[in-house]
Amino acid sequence: MKQDSYAELLSLAGFEGSELADTLPDWIEAAGKMGLSGADVRHAAQEWIPSNFDIELKGVRKLIGAFLREAIDLTKAKQYKADGVKIVYGILPAITSNYLAIKAGGGDRVFVSFPDIFLVTTLNGFFHKVNRYLETAEASGMSYGCRHCALNKTRIGARLMDVIPSPDVIWTWGYICDEGPKTDEFMQHMCARDWDFVISRLPHDTHFGENDSQNTRRIEYLAKQMKDGYRSVQNKIGIEVSPESISSAVGVFGDYAKKLSELIGMVCSADPQPMGGSELACFGYPLSMPFNTGFDHVRDALDTTVQEVRERIKKGEGIVPKGAPRLGCYFVSTPVPWICRMFRENGVALSFSMLMTPTRAQLSPVDYDDPYMAAAQTWLRKPIGTNLGYEISVTCDRVRQYQPDGMLMGFYDFDRWLGAHQKIMSQAVEKETGIPHFYMESDFWEDRDYSPEALRTRIESICQIVKMNKMMQS
Amino acid sequence: MQKLLKEFAEKAFSRPPELKARKTEGRKIVECVGSFIPQELVYAAGAEPYPMCRGGEPEPTDACLQYMLRFLNPFAKSLAGYYLLGLDPVTDIADLIVAQQKDCHVSRISELLEYLGLPLFKVGVPPDWEKGFAFDYYFDALGMMKARLEDLTGMKVTDEGIRAQVESANAIHELLRNIDAFRDREAPCVGGYDFIRMNHYSFYCDPSYTVSQLTKIHDKISSAGDVFSNQSPRILLAGHIVAVGDYVVPKLIEDSGGVIVAEMLDEGLRDFHGTIETTGDMLRNIAERLYLHRVPPSVFQPAWRQRFDHLEAIVHKRRIDGVIWYQLSFDEIYDMEAACVSKWLSDAGVPFLKLESSYEYSREHMGPLTTRVESFIEAIREQKR
Repeated sequence: MKQDSYAELLSLAGFEGSELADTLPDWIEAAGKMGLSGADVRHAAQEWIPSNFDIELKGVRKLIGAFLREAIDLTKAKQYKADGVKIVYGILPAITSNYLAIKAGGGDRVFVSFPDIFLVTTLNGFFHKVNRYLETAEASGMSYGCRHCALNKTRIGARLMDVIPSPDVIWTWGYICDEGPKTDEFMQHMCARDWDFVISRLPHDTHFGENDSQNTRRIEYLAKQMKDGYRSVQNKIGIEVSPESISSAVGVFGDYAKKLSELIGMVCSADPQPMGGSELACFGYPLSMPFNTGFDHVRDALDTTVQEVRERIKKGEGIVPKGAPRLGCYFVSTPVPWICRMFRENGVALSFSMLMTPTRAQLSPVDYDDPYMAAAQTWLRKPIGTNLGYEISVTCDRVRQYQPDGMLMGFYDFDRWLGAHQKIMSQAVEKETGIPHFYMESDFWEDRDYSPEALRTRIESICQIVKMNKMMQS
Repeated sequence: MQKLLKEFAEKAFSRPPELKARKTEGRKIVECVGSFIPQELVYAAGAEPYPMCRGGEPEPTDACLQYMLRFLNPFAKSLAGYYLLGLDPVTDIADLIVAQQKDCHVSRISELLEYLGLPLFKVGVPPDWEKGFAFDYYFDALGMMKARLEDLTGMKVTDEGIRAQVESANAIHELLRNIDAFRDREAPCVGGYDFIRMNHYSFYCDPSYTVSQLTKIHDKISSAGDVFSNQSPRILLAGHIVAVGDYVVPKLIEDSGGVIVAEMLDEGLRDFHGTIETTGDMLRNIAERLYLHRVPPSVFQPAWRQRFDHLEAIVHKRRIDGVIWYQLSFDEIYDMEAACVSKWLSDAGVPFLKLESSYEYSREHMGPLTTRVESFIEAIREQKR
């Protein structure tokens, strides 16, 4: 009986036949290690996932499957470490291709993961069950009232709860926020002395409107940071990462980004909108974190979804009625998917996420042959890593490209960089593009402070406004 | 001493009208944000510096909310908040604002100032300070700041010019060290509330006036009797910043019977413990002093263990009875460090109190705050007996 729920979830996640049977024992064990009970798994399989994700799309189910494979793999990390496999972690946001290159260089001798974003997304997105990790971190000194990031708290919680081992090294990027890299220092002092880290940081010092990816001083400095980071990581794990591995990882990354961009373009231009924002954003994850289990499963899921979305468009099928308004988001709605559902229930679709949508510049060839300079320039093309003025102009570009009926901003209460400027962004982009922007004070990684009841009124009110606007335009 | 301090305060507060007059004479006004921005360079370029370091009031932090996230620390929000409320007497006439970029709070507020159309120059301060190329980056940034100032004033910044300013700053620091030494006595004759304010006034006043006034204060204190009892609990005040005007907590500590005999704050105080070399490349000397030869700020990495070693050394050297951690609300890095410091001090058997301020000091907020501080001081006093 107990096993039925676990099997049911695997089946929902696209596992079939002997693969399902072979995976089942590992999955039961992994769920237990992550703190999921049989009831949690049953709730996910029968209620949470079906009500919050579009499981009629086989590609979406396969993507959930890719996350479950990764969950199983992550819970084996302790064993891998005992077997001599080198454990390398990273945090969001980082240059994912660097970790793919380490994996490419080390193969089975190395395990790469961004455990916190992975656990938050999997546990909250598919099970709504990350709170224990957060509370464990809060008990260790991450004050609840200070609005620390759920990712950092989950990293702490996961280590304290012994879900993950200390890594041989965590290569932490402080290109965006301060708290991410400082969390590793905190962990070394407060959780595990063997929590070894390498940090790479970059001050936010370009001026308003300057294009960071054309600032040679900045590119060179970032390339130096990367080179230094690679050297330190290689020294710690004893595995060499060749420049070819880096270039090849950048290539794989670029291919996936192009395909994803194609999907986003289809979803944002079709009427009715053929798939939802939580699912669409979820496909952006492989651009933001490495899968130790590889790219094949997520690429297969993406290919399948592209086909299915084409079919839906051909048949005129959508997740909302034809003509329904749609909102672009700055945040990612996957870890708290009921937000997307609540909008949909009010006749409005969430569509692309700024965070997970490559810009035109990101998709164009880089100016450098040197792999470090190339990777540095690639990073500096990401709007989140640039100054406010430049981010506003790139955001206007994307808003014009995808033409939403409005933009939903906020949900970044925990982030002193990506959350701090969203009200200005809203004002500036709205003024420039004429597209209305709505700001919501909330948190998209966890919903303890912002329950559906707390946000319902605001969401309903936003939906009424965009629907009225749409009616006035037609 | 209080009379001299009052004179010092009046001189400091008369700085804005003085700057306005200088501006009409053609002098450039440069506002500075943070301890990594050397005012000496501004003086050497023939401009007038003015530190943006005000805080302690809730209205300016609220004024930022139309543009910014609620969960930034109140000091950072105040940087723009006073201007937004029309309460900042200098920003409107400033020709340039030079701001250090070492943490997200100030970096985002700097962007708000740019968005509001103010002339901003950013000095990047990489937090991974033990890397040689990180120091080079900061050193380059100071070089760019120097070039920007030269552009602004049309005056070449020479080593000699910087040296003259550094010598003044060194003299101020030496005086502050000497005054600080009075707090080492069993019965200190000056407390932290006054000492912090002296530091603040010294930011605003002309260096030669500051030297003269601090000399008078020093002489006065040395001839005066004890101000605090040798039974007063000796407090180390640690944390991020006591901003100009944010004196509620230091005053409350001393009104409750304690005496602040040392501070470990990243901002808002001069780093008076050392001097800047006056031979060789002056810009490099400044960069090394400000970036390498200091207690690393909390956001630097690694920092907390080194900072605690420093804090522990102060505890021993100054015979500290208790540490009060003064934290600003939503200051996430200091909140994390507080957990470490609390644990380590507990291991060492040193009493620790964490206070948090949103700059809201209404009667409703003051009640619990006063009770906590008084209880802490009382408990230490009992222990001391």
